[in-house]
Amino acid sequence: MPDEAVRIESLTKVYPGGIRALEDVSLTVRTGEFLVVLGLSGSGKSTLLRCVNRLIDPTAGRIWIFGHEITAAEGSQLRTSRAQIGMIFQQFNLVRRHSVLLNVLSGSLGRAPFFRSLVTRFPEEEAERARACLERVDLGGRGASRADALSGGQQQRVAIARALMQQPSLILADEPVASLDPALRHSVMRHIEALNRDEGMTVICTLHDIDLIQRYATRMVALRDGMLVYEGGPDEFDGETFKEIYGQDAVPTSTLTT
Amino acid sequence: MTDPTQNAATPVPGWRRNLTRLQAIGIDIVLWVLALLMTEFLVIAFSGRRGPTGLLVTPEEVLLLLHYGVMAVAAVMLAMAWHLARGILGAPPGGALVYGLPEEEQDVPWSQTFRGWFVALLIQLTLFTGWLITEVQLVTFLTKFSKASDIIRGLLHPSGEILQQGLVLLVQTIFLAFMATAFAIPFAFVLSFLAARNLTRRNRLTRLAYTLVRAGMNFTRAVEPLVWALIFISWVGIGPFAGVLALWVHSVAALVKLYSEQVENIDPGPVEAITATGASAIQVLRYGVVPQVIPPFLSFTIYRWDINVRMSTIIGFVGGGGIGYILKPRVDLGQWGEVGTLVLLIAITVWVMDILSAKIRERIV
Repeated sequence: MPDEAVRIESLTKVYPGGIRALEDVSLTVRTGEFLVVLGLSGSGKSTLLRCVNRLIDPTAGRIWIFGHEITAAEGSQLRTSRAQIGMIFQQFNLVRRHSVLLNVLSGSLGRAPFFRSLVTRFPEEEAERARACLERVDLGGRGASRADALSGGQQQRVAIARALMQQPSLILADEPVASLDPALRHSVMRHIEALNRDEGMTVICTLHDIDLIQRYATRMVALRDGMLVYEGGPDEFDGETFKEIYGQDAVPTSTLTT
Repeated sequence: MTDPTQNAATPVPGWRRNLTRLQAIGIDIVLWVLALLMTEFLVIAFSGRRGPTGLLVTPEEVLLLLHYGVMAVAAVMLAMAWHLARGILGAPPGGALVYGLPEEEQDVPWSQTFRGWFVALLIQLTLFTGWLITEVQLVTFLTKFSKASDIIRGLLHPSGEILQQGLVLLVQTIFLAFMATAFAIPFAFVLSFLAARNLTRRNRLTRLAYTLVRAGMNFTRAVEPLVWALIFISWVGIGPFAGVLALWVHSVAALVKLYSEQVENIDPGPVEAITATGASAIQVLRYGVVPQVIPPFLSFTIYRWDINVRMSTIIGFVGGGGIGYILKPRVDLGQWGEVGTLVLLIAITVWVMDILSAKIRERIV
C-alpha cells in the first residue's frame, strides 16, 4: 500500500452562482491516519470530503487516491475508485424502506453482478460478509428489521457496516455523530476508530467536539472560508487554537462531562 | 447541489431585464384590450342595434362587429401612458405582477388605488359579458322545470330490462379502466425518471431528454381522452380496445407528471450514499431512488385507476366501449327509464371506486 492515501493539490471549488467553497487547498493524508477536519459550517469541509470521492466535481486542482488520480476518472474507472472509499454521512442516508441487511449489502454494489443486483439477489458469500459486518457493529440480530425501525445511533452503525462492506482502504466521515445524542457519540466513534486501528483504514472525518477530537484524531486540519488555516497534531490542540479556527466568540464543546 | 444564494450572486443580464419589462407592459396591454373590447361589446349589445334580418343582434354577431384593431392600438397607448405616469396613478397591474408592489403602495387598500378600481371594473365587465355570451336565461331556468320532469321521473324509476346488459358492460368498463392503467404503469415509470429535473440536470443528453419528455407529455395531457378515443377508433375500430388506448395515452401523460414530481421530492441523501459505494447510474436509481418513490407511485396509480373508471363511462359515447356505448343511444331516443338504470350503475361504481381507492391510498402512505 502506498504511503500516501490521499494527495490533494490546489483544490478549488466554485459553485454555480459564484460561491467559492474551496480555495487552493493542498493536503496530503498518509496511509493509516485518522485525520480530523475542523471548521465552521460553510467553511468547505463537506465540499472537501465530497471532492475526494467525486460526489462533487472540483473546479480546479487534482486529487490522487493511493497513487491513482481520481479527478480525471470517468465511468467504470471512477466507480472502481469510489468502491474503495467508504462514506459515512451526518444523516446516515440509509434506504429507509429496505432491510438493514440489504442496506449493508448495497455497500457491495460496486463489485456486484449487475443484473442480479437489480433484483436484490446478492451472492451468498456477500450475504455472509454483510452479516459479519453487522456483527462488527454489534447489530448481529437486526438484519431483517427495516432500516427506519432502528434508532439514530443504530442507523449510523448500519451505515458504518455498509461502508465496511465496501472493504475500503479509505473512510470519509461527514459529521458522523452530529445528529446523534451526545451520549451515543462515543459508541459510534469507537466503531470508526476500530476501522482505523484494526483494519488499517485511513479515515478523514469532520468533527466539532473538542474531546472527541483529542480522543480520536491523529492529526487535524482546519478550514476557514475554503482555505486551509491550520495543520497539527492533537497534542498541540487546545482552547487557543480552537478560538483561532472558530473565532474569538467560540466556546469549545464537549460531548460528555465525565 | 442547489445554491440558495445563486440569484443574489449572479448579475441579471440586460436582455432579461428588457424581457421582464416587456412582460409587465404586455400584461397591461392585454388587460386594456380586454377592458376596451368588453366595454364596446356591452355598448353594442345594449344599444338595441338590429342586424340585417331586422332582429336584435345576437352576442355572436356582436363579436364580429367589434373594432379589434382600433382597440388594440388604444390599449397599447393607454398601457404605455400608465407605465409612464405610474408616479401619479400608482403601479399598473402588469408591473405589480412582475416586479411586485412598490414599497409605498404595500399597505394602501385596493379601493384607494387606480389599479384596484381598474381590476374591479374588469371583473364586472367580464361577468356581464360572460352572462350575455353564454346566453344565461335565469327566468327559463326557474320556470320551465316541467319539461325535464320526464327525465327525472325516468331516472327515479329505473327500468329493469336493461339491467343485465348494463351490468355486462359495467364489467367491461371497469376492466377497460384497469387495462388502460396497467399498460400505462411501465411507460410512465420509465419516462418519469427522465421527466425529473433532479436526475437529469447533470449531463447534456439527459437534459435534452427531460425537455423532450416534458414537452411531449404536456401536449399529450392537453388533448382530452375523448379526442384520443376518436383517433384510436379510426385506428383500431369501434370497441373497448380503442377506449383502452385512449385512456392509456392520457394516463401515461398524467402519471408521468405525478410520478416525476415525487422523484423530484426524494431525499438526496440515499442517492448520494449509493453513488459513493461505486454503484452505476442504474443501480443508484434502483437503490437510491426507487425505494423512496414506490409508495407514492402506488397511491397515484390507484387514484388514476379511479379516474379512469369515471372516464371510461363517458368514452363509450364516441364509440370507445364500456357502458357509455349503450347509454348514448338511449339518451338520444329519450328512453329515460333505461338511462336511469345505467346512470345509477355508473354512480354506484364510481362511488365504490372512490371509497376503495381512498381507503387503499390511506394505508399505503
